[in-house]
Amino acid sequence: MTTALLSVSDLAVTYRTQAGLVAAVDGVNLEVPAGAMLGLVGESGCGKTTLARALMGVLPGNARVSRGRIVLDGTDLQALSAAKRRALLWRDISFVPQSSMNSLDPVYRMRTQMREVLCGRGDLSRGAADTRAADLFQAVGLNPVRLNDFPHQFSGGMRQRAAIALALALHPKLVIADEPVTALDVIVQRQVLDMLRRLGEDMNLTAIFVTHDIAVVAYLCTVTAVMYAGRIVEYGPTADVLARPAHPYTMGLMNAFPDLEGPTQDLAPIEGSPPDLHTPPTGCRFAARCPFVQPVCTTTYPAPTDVAPDHWAACHRVGEAETLRAQATEAATWQS
Amino acid sequence: MDGGSTIVLPAKRRGLRTALRRYFADPYAVVGCVIYVVFIVLGILAGWLAQYDPTEILFTDDGQLAASLPPSAAHWLGTTNLGRDIFSQLVMGIRPSLFVGITAAVGVSALGTAVGVLAGYFGGVVDTLLMRLTDVVLGLPFLPFVIVLAALLGPSLQNVVFSVVILLWPNAARIIRAQLLTLMQRQFIEAARVTGASHSRIILVHILPNILPLSLLYGSISVGWAILTQASVSFLGFGDQDTISWGFMLQDAYASQALSQAQYNWFVPPGLCIVFVVAAGFFLSRGYENLIFPKLKQ
Amino acid sequence: MAELIAAANLTKHYPTSRTTRQMLRGERPVVRAVDGIDLVIQRGESVGLVGESGSGKTTVGRLLLKLTEASGGTLNFDGAAVSGLSGDSLRRFRQQAQLVFQNPFDSVNPRFTIRRAVAEPLINTGVPRAERDGRIAEAMRLVHLGDFHRYADKHPSELSGGQLQRVVLARALVGRPSFLVADEPVSMLDVSVRAGILNLMRELRDRLGLTALYISHDLTLVRYVCERTLVMYLGRIVEDGPTSEVISRPAHPYTQALIKAVPRPRTDQSREDLPISGGLANAVSPPSGCRLRDRCPYAFARCAQEVPALLEVAPGHRAACHLTSPANAAAA
Ligand SMILES: Nc1ncnc2c1ncn2[C@@H]1O[C@H](COP(=O)(O)OP(=O)(O)OP(=O)(O)O)[C@@H](O)[C@H]1O
Ligand SMILES: Nc1ncnc2c1ncn2[C@@H]1O[C@H](COP(=O)(O)OP(=O)(O)O)[C@@H](O)[C@H]1O
Ligand code: SF4
Ligand code: SF4
Ligand SMILES: [Mg+2]
Ligand SMILES: [Mg+2]
Repeated sequence: MTTALLSVSDLAVTYRTQAGLVAAVDGVNLEVPAGAMLGLVGESGCGKTTLARALMGVLPGNARVSRGRIVLDGTDLQALSAAKRRALLWRDISFVPQSSMNSLDPVYRMRTQMREVLCGRGDLSRGAADTRAADLFQAVGLNPVRLNDFPHQFSGGMRQRAAIALALALHPKLVIADEPVTALDVIVQRQVLDMLRRLGEDMNLTAIFVTHDIAVVAYLCTVTAVMYAGRIVEYGPTADVLARPAHPYTMGLMNAFPDLEGPTQDLAPIEGSPPDLHTPPTGCRFAARCPFVQPVCTTTYPAPTDVAPDHWAACHRVGEAETLRAQATEAATWQS
Repeated sequence: MDGGSTIVLPAKRRGLRTALRRYFADPYAVVGCVIYVVFIVLGILAGWLAQYDPTEILFTDDGQLAASLPPSAAHWLGTTNLGRDIFSQLVMGIRPSLFVGITAAVGVSALGTAVGVLAGYFGGVVDTLLMRLTDVVLGLPFLPFVIVLAALLGPSLQNVVFSVVILLWPNAARIIRAQLLTLMQRQFIEAARVTGASHSRIILVHILPNILPLSLLYGSISVGWAILTQASVSFLGFGDQDTISWGFMLQDAYASQALSQAQYNWFVPPGLCIVFVVAAGFFLSRGYENLIFPKLKQ
Repeated sequence: MAELIAAANLTKHYPTSRTTRQMLRGERPVVRAVDGIDLVIQRGESVGLVGESGSGKTTVGRLLLKLTEASGGTLNFDGAAVSGLSGDSLRRFRQQAQLVFQNPFDSVNPRFTIRRAVAEPLINTGVPRAERDGRIAEAMRLVHLGDFHRYADKHPSELSGGQLQRVVLARALVGRPSFLVADEPVSMLDVSVRAGILNLMRELRDRLGLTALYISHDLTLVRYVCERTLVMYLGRIVEDGPTSEVISRPAHPYTQALIKAVPRPRTDQSREDLPISGGLANAVSPPSGCRLRDRCPYAFARCAQEVPALLEVAPGHRAACHLTSPANAAAA
């Protein structure tokens, strides 16, 4: 693919907990090409939010980046001082958190919050800030009049739009959105997705889009990364990954996903749950749930292997992906 | 933590041991607890520690009134101007203070919880009436009202407790009502209704255990207030003249001009005891507050 | 066929706060959460209820379970008026009609062990102690938590979301109910867990012959469990028909939008604009006539004047839109 705006290599993040260290992100390699919308999918607890926060440099106090490099547009972020790193927020990287209520301050009007970012972070004058705020509201499909409102006067969908407007305020190079549409109903979700798609085209936005909904990724994202137990297990162009998944975990997720068409036979859930990251298994982390597991899987971690241009998967059996895909579509395969 | 689509895990249930460890991680809580334990032990042993009857007028071996003696081996804290043993008064004074503090705490948390739960659970008219009542009571001036009640009902300790409870329950009731309203939003309350639980069962089994920590917090805050009130009432001379309490001692010392005669041994010890017990009460509730609202700490 | 639930003109209005002016004029504005719906559910039927957030789905579920009193209309459960239930008859009703919630972690008392939580309905309906263990084990087997003793003494926070939602289902089933309302039972669960719960709901439908109302904003999920689907908009039912018909041949513009809005797990999907725009109108003063008319691309004069009735568009398939009503279809 073309130049990567963001490239992450061997990134690991650990949380200190009462029960010991949790390796929530453990050796992540990821490239986000300029202008791409990357969908980051995976089950709950597999480390998506932790990865997003590590990229932002806003990890909670008990978390630490234990190794790895994050390079944004040529700058090694890990080499920067904490103050320099913080200065990048909003300007270079901005964030739409999982619950937009967390990013919008309930006691201030939207206009004040916009000014805070535009004047405080971006050195705009008040007048210029207000004009820009109105443009941003327009861009995300909100009436600029609503800048005078408090966040609680907005519906869920409007709050998400406002949070996105705030994230776009300073033309950041990269926007990271954590489950920005999951709490919304289908119609509002679709409206926000369409708005994002349009922004992506108009502003040539580069974004990382965290979600567990494959359909949302299919609708919006150009590139997909599948995460499992702290690692990226498959990465590639969305069309390719969804049509020809090469990792059994991706196949499982696709199968478990209900669709509006097709037979309504039983769905095939992936039995079991992700491994305990206090004591991650050696070898392939999916081995305990994988229907195609082989002896080698439990001893050696499978290296990422190319299956198509810009499409790789970390599985010992990528070579047989075609056969496995056929077997994976049968519900019986997934019954333990 | 995660909101949105993923599940928000409630804080993991912690065992009693973890709770205690966290409680005593707060230095204030440790100090408060130590002070209480000391006073409670002294209060229990008071009868044995007090060498003299605190109201008894003592005479020296040569038949003189043992008035205003300085501290000595026989009278650890000396005597009053009427020849009473100050140390004996001090230790006997622990009992009324603890009685007032503890009964008031029980009263405030019981009444506050009852009103808060009824108002929050049934809502509507019940809620409006009870909340108006709390507004009215909250508007009453504290000490003057206690004094008027003591004057009307008689100055016994029970009446002091009664008036403290009457005045302090509304704070507890309001907070508990607010907590109840949030609790009523929780789906497990609705779940209890669907499974056929009666109102009394929902309140007793599903609501009270979740409200109890807050009731206890308000109870423990009332301990200090009640002791302080009792002391103030006694000091101002509206207290029970037959009960030896720290407030009574201070009033006695004040009326006898111990202050101008520099009889520090008379008025400093009861004053310090009040400060200690009241402060310990607030320290305890502070530690407890950190335990039930761990986030306040960060 | 035997009707288990029959509602006519069922209405729920919630009082809302008034401005001083409204107070002086003596007006009492209300949120029309449910505004006159007719609904019949046959014994053994699984019915889906879909619509946007705020369209009144949860309120319908709560009305059917007598968790809130209706402001108007009639509701019969198994031939008896629900409004007249009290004392013993209410207790019997509580045993018959059960609810499964959206957030499993919020719907089990965090202080209870799993055993205690599942026993709750048995205790409340006075099932003798000796019978309880057997009944609990039976319910746990139904939801595929047969190795019950492993969970029995745990607390909710020690279970995963999927396991706990199974426990919630077991709690609903332990009293052997005849009617179940499931309000967004999988929307807070992870995709991989979702599939398991959906399968379980299908299986229970087939095995127990339960009558169920399954609430969701996503037709994709309803489709796996329900043979019939109702579509709700702003307090009214706008479409009612066999689920496959409703999805393949939606008759109401709103249903068409709901279906188009669902993203699909494929990259080659339609990304056209939705046929309806904007958001839900205000439920305090909804538009006259058809409530969708401020968002509907086909709205015409009659839509503002006349409330469209729910009329048959195909056998067993009804819709409330002037475009599809026979009078218009004939004129067109
Ligand atoms: N207790 C209440 N008091 C006042 N208004 C209410 C109450 N419950 C619901 N409403 C209002 O009734 C309407 C329908 O609400 P309801 O929760 O039933 O919708 P829903 O379709 O289930 O939405 P969601 O998907 O968000 O749960 C909304 O306008 C809502 O604000
Ligand atoms: N603040 C924290 N302290 C300790 N562990 C955490 C914290 N946040 C997340 N974790 C753990 O890290 C792992 C990944 O979590 P998260 O990044 O939230 O994943 P996701 O967004 O995919 O749900 C989980 O095992 C979770 O329990
Ligand atoms: S490496 Fe082995 S266990 Fe892991 S996904 Fe591939 S086949 Fe399954
Ligand atoms: S009745 Fe009119 S406004 Fe309503 S859905 Fe039909 S065409 Fe649209
Ligand atoms: Mg997350
Ligand atoms: Mg709802």
